[in-house]
Amino acid sequence: MENVLLSVSEFVAATNQTLEYAYPVVHVEGEIAEFKISQNQWVHFKIKDEVAVVSCFMTMFQMRVPLEDGMKVVVTASPKLDGRWGKFSLIVRAVRPVGEGSIKKGFELLKAKLEKEGLFAYERKRPLPRMPKKIAVITSTESAAYADFIKIINKRWGGLDVDVAHTQVQGAPAADQMIRAIHYFNSLEALPEVLVIIRGGGSPDDLAAFNDEPLARAIAESRIPTLVGVGHEVNHTLADMISDVRAATPTDAAQLLVPDRHEIIRSSKAQVHAVGFLLTQAIDTYSRQTKENLEAAFGRIQERLDDAFDRLGILRVATSQLNPEHVLRRGYALLRGDQTVGSLLQIETVKHIISAEVQDVRQK
Amino acid sequence: MSDKSNPSVQEKLTHLSELVGWFQGASFTLEDALDKFKQAEALAEEIENDLTKLKNDIKVVKKRFDSETP
Repeated sequence: MENVLLSVSEFVAATNQTLEYAYPVVHVEGEIAEFKISQNQWVHFKIKDEVAVVSCFMTMFQMRVPLEDGMKVVVTASPKLDGRWGKFSLIVRAVRPVGEGSIKKGFELLKAKLEKEGLFAYERKRPLPRMPKKIAVITSTESAAYADFIKIINKRWGGLDVDVAHTQVQGAPAADQMIRAIHYFNSLEALPEVLVIIRGGGSPDDLAAFNDEPLARAIAESRIPTLVGVGHEVNHTLADMISDVRAATPTDAAQLLVPDRHEIIRSSKAQVHAVGFLLTQAIDTYSRQTKENLEAAFGRIQERLDDAFDRLGILRVATSQLNPEHVLRRGYALLRGDQTVGSLLQIETVKHIISAEVQDVRQK
Repeated sequence: MSDKSNPSVQEKLTHLSELVGWFQGASFTLEDALDKFKQAEALAEEIENDLTKLKNDIKVVKKRFDSETP
């Protein structure tokens, strides 16, 4: 090309062609400087190191994590010479914070943004059904976390229809794949009752996909209640913070999702035992009351009988007083015969029967 | 979903709770108690059988999520 005369346009076109051929996609790590957003649509910034700086351009749509000056990032971009302005730029396809400080910064910025929109509010949280019948799981089916999750739900519960969407859970494509899976399950005619998203532990960089803004929003917008368990107890991601129910780990997600069948069986038996106890108690109460009623009835009958016997005793005493034998014993005599002079009388005392003749009869 | 002739474990558990509630409630009568107790016993046994037998049906969906294509 040494002796070829080119117009500016031709030079720019040739340069871009060369760049496109030699560097279709580059990954460049550097620190953000002069970050600005124009018309709420276009994002301009520079990335730099100790000795060099390069301009970057992207759309708001491509910015998955809030950025600001000083953050260390890796941009995935195509280099391009802008013929109109004569400016060399990286046309950014994706940008992700790197290094603990920048990842944390990106996380905090996005957390603050979503929090301001009320997406973490307690009032938004929907409860999960206690015993779901149909659930959806988004995870990498090749992961140990998935194997553990399945092992635990099989141990704890049965009769569950589980549809699993296999996606990457780490790296640049992971967030978009999980978003597509969320949309897929939300578009089903018969919606699953719970949407579970799980991933095992990893470094902050490994878990970065779960701090992606579009993924967080897809979880927030899911028509299906969400249960997210990512990493270990100490890991907090925006995906799990925005979900309806946060599980500390994938294992914890399985435990939150379904009850323990052994516990339910124990509880059912305990309830029947309690009912049996109530029944026995009721029978005892009824028996005691019946016994008390019978005793009261017998008592009343006994009282009536005692009254009757008392009255009988009195009558017997009174009757015995009228017995002539008792009168004779008191010294009286019974006189039989006509009370005329010359008649014979029979006199009965307690010990003797005496015959006597009437010698005189006078008026008293 | 379950129909009336084939209630789910959850429905059986709800029924069991109702029976337990009946024993503690004002409608309790000794005449009906033995029958209700037998029902509760049978339900607990059914729940145990169901929960012991039931297996989960796990399917990986065929759709791929690595691109926008359906």
